Amino acid sequence: MKTKQYLVRLYPHTWRERYEEELLAMLEQHPISFLDGLDLFFGALDAHLHPELGTTGMSLYERMMRMISTLRHSPLTIFCAYAGFILVGLAFQKMTEYDDFVEAARTHNIVGLSFNLVVIGSVAALLAILAGGLPIAIAVIRSALAQKRRGPLLLLTVPILAFAVFLGTTFLLEALQHPGNHFSPAWQVFLSRGVFFGTLIIAAIASAGALCFAVARSEISERLLRFALLPSILATISMALMLAATIIWGLGLRDGAPQLFAGNDGIVGSSTTGTWLGIVITMAIATALAAVSLMRGFSARSALRNAAA
Amino acid sequence: MDTLNLGRFSDPPILILASLAGSPKHGYAIMEDIEAFAGVHLGPGTLYGAIARLETQGLIESLPTEERRRPYRLTATGIAFLQEQLTGLETFASMALQRLARI
Repeated sequence: MKTKQYLVRLYPHTWRERYEEELLAMLEQHPISFLDGLDLFFGALDAHLHPELGTTGMSLYERMMRMISTLRHSPLTIFCAYAGFILVGLAFQKMTEYDDFVEAARTHNIVGLSFNLVVIGSVAALLAILAGGLPIAIAVIRSALAQKRRGPLLLLTVPILAFAVFLGTTFLLEALQHPGNHFSPAWQVFLSRGVFFGTLIIAAIASAGALCFAVARSEISERLLRFALLPSILATISMALMLAATIIWGLGLRDGAPQLFAGNDGIVGSSTTGTWLGIVITMAIATALAAVSLMRGFSARSALRNAAA
Repeated sequence: MDTLNLGRFSDPPILILASLAGSPKHGYAIMEDIEAFAGVHLGPGTLYGAIARLETQGLIESLPTEERRRPYRLTATGIAFLQEQLTGLETFASMALQRLARI
């Protein structure tokens, strides 16, 4: 019975409020096979992609509020997924700027072409995020000024402050390193890299979190939220393109320059294969998150349109 | 029992609507009924995914819960929708039978 309960818990909260009891009662009467378990798993995924399912018992107002909330969360989740994606994208860019990788991109067409695709994808994704995000940021500022609230305005300054802290930390770490001293003790190198990456990750999380919090606390029109879904499509497609290109890049490198792929030219001297795999896995998670959020956003948009009709 | 190939009429929502055309039923009874009349096994996830959709679209509605089980019945819109679908099937079947008769 526990397995059945765990599977049912995979469904979203709203859905469970409506159907959990009767579904569990049905499962108690009926032994479930492996295929039925798989069917429940995909059913839960489907329920997450369609947030309007399970809202039948709610009033029209409650249902519309729920859909507007989903519509608001959709571009925010895509933005957070994009932030995570870009963070590992920076690691990819850092790794590939070494001479050996530049040489491999020049001599092996597949490596060079896939790298160019990553660059094209990153530009397209950035433009899409700006196209969807700037009108929302302006709406946040307008809403804060109209309501005379300083909170959202202060939250919008967090990314600038976080970037300044990150730059300051980087300069400080460089200053602490004696010029010409390439033989720092291992613990010092470890500490310096830990501080660098820790600051970068904290700055990224604080920036994305503050922006999301500011948007969540501001009055954004439904029209603007619906519009934000359109550039979100381009951002998600660009992320998928970059993911595919990064996978092809790695496979091309493995075939074209196996010694480089098997070496230790990854981030901070780690395994190249390991770094590439880590980047691909993180990119895949971020892309999947963006795709799911995009589909939820469109489902909510369609449910709102039907409710208004 | 031989399994019928119902084509697009084997879609879970149509099967559920056809099952509820007989009488109001709860989830397990719908599943058993569909297995009996169409030879199609609907997994619990598929069944409740379709029930949730039909309810959202206003084609079925729930009745008061009986011992944790909630029966469903067709709404007027659901009856009209099913009627339209089945009339379409009837027209298609009679046209195909007429053509077959000419062979």
